[in-house]
Amino acid sequence: MEKIELSHTLPAVFAGRPDTGSDIWLRNVTLERGKRYLVAAESGTGKSSLCAYIYGYRNDYEGTIAFDGRNSRSLSIDEWCRLRCRHIAYLPQEMRLFPELTALENVELKNRITHFKNLQQIEQLFEELAIADKLHSPVAQLSIGQQQRVAVIRTLCQPADFILLDEPVSHLDEANNQIVAQLVTDEATRQGAGIIATSVGNHLKLNDTQHLAL
Amino acid sequence: MKNIIWKLLRKHVSATQLAGFALANLVGLTIVILAVQFYLDVKPVFADEDSFISKDYLVITRTITGTGALMGSGSEFPDSAVATLQQQPWCRQVGRFISSDFAISATVGVGGGRAMRSQFFFEAIPDEFIDVNADQWGFNPSRPEVPVIVSRDYLSLYNFGFAATQGMPRISEGQAGMIPLSFTFSGNGLTEDMPGRIVGFSNRLNTVIVPQDFLTWANERYGTGMPRQPQRLIVEVNSPGDVKIEQFMSQHRYEVAGDKMSSSKANYFLMLIIGIVIAVGIIISLLAFFVLMLSIYLLLQKNTRKLQDLLLLGYSPSQVARPYIVMVLAINAAVLGLSIALMLATRLYYKDTLTVFGVTGASVLPAMMVALVIMTVITAANVLAIRRRVAALWMQ
Repeated sequence: MEKIELSHTLPAVFAGRPDTGSDIWLRNVTLERGKRYLVAAESGTGKSSLCAYIYGYRNDYEGTIAFDGRNSRSLSIDEWCRLRCRHIAYLPQEMRLFPELTALENVELKNRITHFKNLQQIEQLFEELAIADKLHSPVAQLSIGQQQRVAVIRTLCQPADFILLDEPVSHLDEANNQIVAQLVTDEATRQGAGIIATSVGNHLKLNDTQHLAL
Repeated sequence: MKNIIWKLLRKHVSATQLAGFALANLVGLTIVILAVQFYLDVKPVFADEDSFISKDYLVITRTITGTGALMGSGSEFPDSAVATLQQQPWCRQVGRFISSDFAISATVGVGGGRAMRSQFFFEAIPDEFIDVNADQWGFNPSRPEVPVIVSRDYLSLYNFGFAATQGMPRISEGQAGMIPLSFTFSGNGLTEDMPGRIVGFSNRLNTVIVPQDFLTWANERYGTGMPRQPQRLIVEVNSPGDVKIEQFMSQHRYEVAGDKMSSSKANYFLMLIIGIVIAVGIIISLLAFFVLMLSIYLLLQKNTRKLQDLLLLGYSPSQVARPYIVMVLAINAAVLGLSIALMLATRLYYKDTLTVFGVTGASVLPAMMVALVIMTVITAANVLAIRRRVAALWMQ
């Protein structure tokens, strides 16, 4: 997938409101593969909604979202499943980890349908994010910051044309922010993927990003 | 790896609910297939294909009333009555009983002190109404021997009534054919002896039947030559339990001989009772089915978030539904197997009783097929419901 085009897209709940000057809502925006985007917004401006629309689990919006010219509303469930395994890697804001599973099991749950990384590579990522000692701990016992790092690793366990990160570092300190940014950048560069990261304040420290305000 | 998904989704699986479903469905299904099997096993007892009068035949006589006797009407069936019978929609064909018109005495045994001698009578009906498999049924005047079919009751009467108390040997049906039997016919100034042989036994007809060609020949030879109307008729009907037949019979003051009507009534009530039992079994199975559906809905409801999270990871709805489908398949397969085993085990208890009635029992395949069909339908409905529920979680 080379590009994601948003044409006059607007969350249904925002319909009828005066134009807020957003760079995305009600505009024609093209997100290209290989580029980096930082969507900065205040709370309640529809940042997570945007991610949900692109990732296809909500469709309460007006306008269109197209993948390489094809309206995303026309995708079948099978096509969405393939897209979620092969084309768009997504980290939800609320992470959606399974608290009863261990950190490693959570990552493996993704990796077993993508077969993208081997155990050694996964353990390497845990090490780089300084949570190697938590590999076999149930996620419920991890701090929010540690959970966020597990979620990042899980997101990276798949081939992707776009890496979609919804507030990926909201619970991380400066140093870990830097590490996550580096890991994501490395992975994106390796695959030639685009990065779309949202933030309400604690921006993911990416270089050469195009800023979009919601 | 696979068990990670199960580890995740088995949460909230209620073992008690599933056990409740399995038990209830086991009871329901076993009742249904046991009833089906029992019906198939017992049916031949009520509709004995070997009997003289098979399930489609009735023997009728006229009721003799005081007024009827005074009016001069006898116990005979005139041709007009036969014609009326033949016009009835339930009537396929009518056969007339011919009676012997001369004196007969029968001698059983080889003479001497042990021989028994008795006055006797014969009746005959057209061959197409006879469905006892009798060899050498027919008569050849040049080599005379009289084959007879007698009521099975006569043999029972002898074996259990006479032989048992008089110290005589009991006789099986096979041995009965070897009993030396001779008849003495007298009439028209003739007295002649002729050997006889029992060739078959009838369950339902209380008479002694000889081939029609023999009786016609004998009536001409020894009889008075007076034309006589039949006193009994044999009627082939479409359905012996038909209410219209009963109405017709009582309207014309005809009596149905033997237990044919009551046997068909017994058969009717057997079917009715089995039908009720099957209905109860099906209701229990249906209730069990709803228990399982509720349990599954509740389970999916409680695990909604997990299922949606798996879909977000890129799992397809069918992958997510699979653990629950496998669970349902396993439970239903176990119920099916246990139910068939229970049916077979229960069948052993009444199988001996069947042998007493001379019935070997039907094949168990139809009942197994019924079980398989019911479980397939239930399982298909379960699987469909799970798939639909999971698919409904796609949009969040």
